[in-house]
Amino acid sequence: MTPEAGAALGPWVVESVSPAAMADFAEVLADPNPIHLDPEAVKAMGLGDRVVNQGPANFGYVLEMLKAAVPGATVVDLRVRLQANVFGGDRVIAAGVVESVADGEHGTRILNCAVWLDVDGGARAIAGTASLILSQNP
Amino acid sequence: MNHQPFGRFIDMAVASGTPLPPGTFTITPEENRRLAGVLGADPEDTTAHPLWAYVATQRGIGIGVADLCALADFDVADGPMLGSVDMELRAPLAVGVEYRVTGEVLSIVRKEGRKTGPFDIMTYRERLLDGDGAEVVSTTNTFILPRRAA
Repeated sequence: MTPEAGAALGPWVVESVSPAAMADFAEVLADPNPIHLDPEAVKAMGLGDRVVNQGPANFGYVLEMLKAAVPGATVVDLRVRLQANVFGGDRVIAAGVVESVADGEHGTRILNCAVWLDVDGGARAIAGTASLILSQNP
Repeated sequence: MNHQPFGRFIDMAVASGTPLPPGTFTITPEENRRLAGVLGADPEDTTAHPLWAYVATQRGIGIGVADLCALADFDVADGPMLGSVDMELRAPLAVGVEYRVTGEVLSIVRKEGRKTGPFDIMTYRERLLDGDGAEVVSTTNTFILPRRAA
């Protein structure tokens, strides 16, 4: 069933952003920036004392939220601004809202959504839009 | 006049449209599982995660982040920040398929914030092409490059 305009998406929650996952993602990204790996490097940059999550992981959570909220849909467009850091141990909440629904090609529906990722008790880390294509069930 | 609402283009080592060195990238099943694990996704899902649209372009282009920053005369040790990402996925990504990766610098614009001081915004586009040369993914990213005040 296609969500209607105004439908809420999520929330999708990461209870505690994992420093171990950051280390793993650093290898997948081939990004050796020590602020994702070493709290001392974070201190040296004046950013606090917890490792900083990779920005792409933060909008990756938004993609996971969309996958859970609209099963079977395909993300065709994601436009995000990275507005704040997420740190190791943070609880983050990905969510969104369907802003419009339109007919696509071959009987598909196109969902245009606002999406975001909030740090629980903190800043909005990610804000943007997503477009998804959803095939209609016969 | 200090008011520069749209920033100004600055004279750098690269001009708008300067191509980035091309490369190739293949999403492996093992790395697809690792990426899923990082995001808390189902590790048994064998379809390529859409976040590869960003990761594959970033890794596959024939220039590392440090050298990309160097095109703007910026030392990567000074802390570039990813400011925005626009990903367009024109076809599903596939595991085990070699993609050609191309890209170019779109602009480098100098701005100045009241609190942040001077910084540059470097915008570049990268894309994944399939074996027929068709565009599968296009990403347009910005790096924010903080400049120490002179």
